Amino acid sequence: MIRLLKIEWTKIKTYKVFWILSGLYFVFLALGIIMAEFMINNMIDNMNKHLPIPVPHVNIYFFPEVWQNITFFASIRYVLLFPAILVIILITNEFTHKTIRQNVVNGLSKTEFLLSKLYMILLISIIITVFVTISALIIGISHTSDITAGMVTDKLVFIPGFFITILTIMLYAFFFGFIFRNTGLSIALFTLYTLIIEPVFYYFLKSPLVFKNDISTYLPVNAVLRVTEYPAIPVLKKMMGLNLQDTVTMGAALIPLLYATLMVAIVFRTLIKKDL
Amino acid sequence: MKTILSIQRLSKRYGKIQAIKDLSLKVEQGQIFGILGPNGSGKTTTLSILLDLIKSDQGSFEWFGEPAHYELRKRIGSVIESPNFYPYLSAATNLRLVAAIKESGADDIDRVLQLTGLEQRKDTKFKTFSFGMKQRLAIASALLGKPDVLILDEPTNGLDPQGIVQIRELIMMIAREGTTILLASHLLDEVQKICTHVAVLSKGIKLFDGKVSEVLAVSDSFELAGDDMEKLLKVIREHPAYQSHQVNNSFIQVYFKEKVLPGALNNWLFSQGVILSHLSERKRSLEQHFLELLQNNQ
Repeated sequence: MIRLLKIEWTKIKTYKVFWILSGLYFVFLALGIIMAEFMINNMIDNMNKHLPIPVPHVNIYFFPEVWQNITFFASIRYVLLFPAILVIILITNEFTHKTIRQNVVNGLSKTEFLLSKLYMILLISIIITVFVTISALIIGISHTSDITAGMVTDKLVFIPGFFITILTIMLYAFFFGFIFRNTGLSIALFTLYTLIIEPVFYYFLKSPLVFKNDISTYLPVNAVLRVTEYPAIPVLKKMMGLNLQDTVTMGAALIPLLYATLMVAIVFRTLIKKDL
Repeated sequence: MKTILSIQRLSKRYGKIQAIKDLSLKVEQGQIFGILGPNGSGKTTTLSILLDLIKSDQGSFEWFGEPAHYELRKRIGSVIESPNFYPYLSAATNLRLVAAIKESGADDIDRVLQLTGLEQRKDTKFKTFSFGMKQRLAIASALLGKPDVLILDEPTNGLDPQGIVQIRELIMMIAREGTTILLASHLLDEVQKICTHVAVLSKGIKLFDGKVSEVLAVSDSFELAGDDMEKLLKVIREHPAYQSHQVNNSFIQVYFKEKVLPGALNNWLFSQGVILSHLSERKRSLEQHFLELLQNNQ
């Protein structure tokens, strides 16, 4: 595992595109996390112009709700696209430059090649999760008075939840990269699917005319987004009377993992069978 | 002598096209083995199968006496098709990657860069290299970790004359150090200059294999004329080395399978009761001979 990670590290260490995209991602992620409260309160201000009784400003950065709120903002569709596109580029590069052939010729087995990409995805997921965890910790500490250990550990389950979100979306990208093999095509199809195709399906399936039981939540990307589906904003919750989530359920976490496992299995089967 | 590579009845078909058929070969340690054939004769397909890029339909092969396994490829240095490297990484980083895959240690990188004359450019990105430099880097990468076998697929393709000479000299030098070399080429001249052994491929079928000196060096033909042309024609077919002949106006042109000396030929014909009035040795160009080899087997 260490050897394969070292190989991947050599591939990206001096690859500018990777570092520029990663840098942009972390900047946007940090900005998103810092600006989230401001943006919500801005929305409330706009809403208040039309309301007879103004809604008070919210605070989303205190323990334990900070875990849920920050992981929610860090796993918005558009934000998730960044690491996914990064994974697609790293995989399709190998086909564009035929370096996958060269890797195999030089003595890497196809299985090792696939594992090296999977380990890299795992490592990136861990790094992003650690980044989000530390951000939430710092923000939580600076926004919470009279902190107790219980307040910090409550809702900590959103961190492993976020890890599953980020891991599975990158595994979906792994699938797209290995199946389509072309950088532009893979990115275009992945983005189209995530932003347009699946949302259209989602509303189609949701309409009671189609199915009696709502199966829209089981669509692959939606299943990923559902792990941390809602932010925790008590005032809005009370006001809107919505039954929002307050934990990550096993069921919600398992569905995207199942999809991802299936996709990885398909990639292994096709790559090992096919000629390079 | 140790067998480095043995191939048993390998076949591969792409749809309607039979890329290789029933190919069997044996490469011994220390040989410079050429696979010679025109474009599309199955050379690259064969090498791709040997390197596990393509699966064969039938047949099997063994490297170093062991059934093919990816670990064995770490002992093989290969240059296949165009040089494939990460364009955005430097030459040295690309080689470090190869060394990591081959688990051969990165301390060999300077040596191979020096051998291929790239030490000045080692920190330059691969994408800025000229084609000749790319090809040299490919050879440098194949030499990393001193492999037991070197596989070279058209190593001088697309190089200028100076580059061709450099690469050939490099190959000969490596061979002198005892590395076994498997070289695919459509250039007869190249195989003749570099290789010790050769297999001639045409449309995926092996026509000949053996020592270069035996397979390719018989390049002579004779113009013969005698008083009794009919008897000459009849007798010459019985010569042990007879291959083919053409009847011209005043003489017949005879091709032999192996080297025949003019004196010995005259002597033999005389002993068969044929008296020659004309005997002239004709040297054929190697290319001509190669084409004949191919034509005679279609």
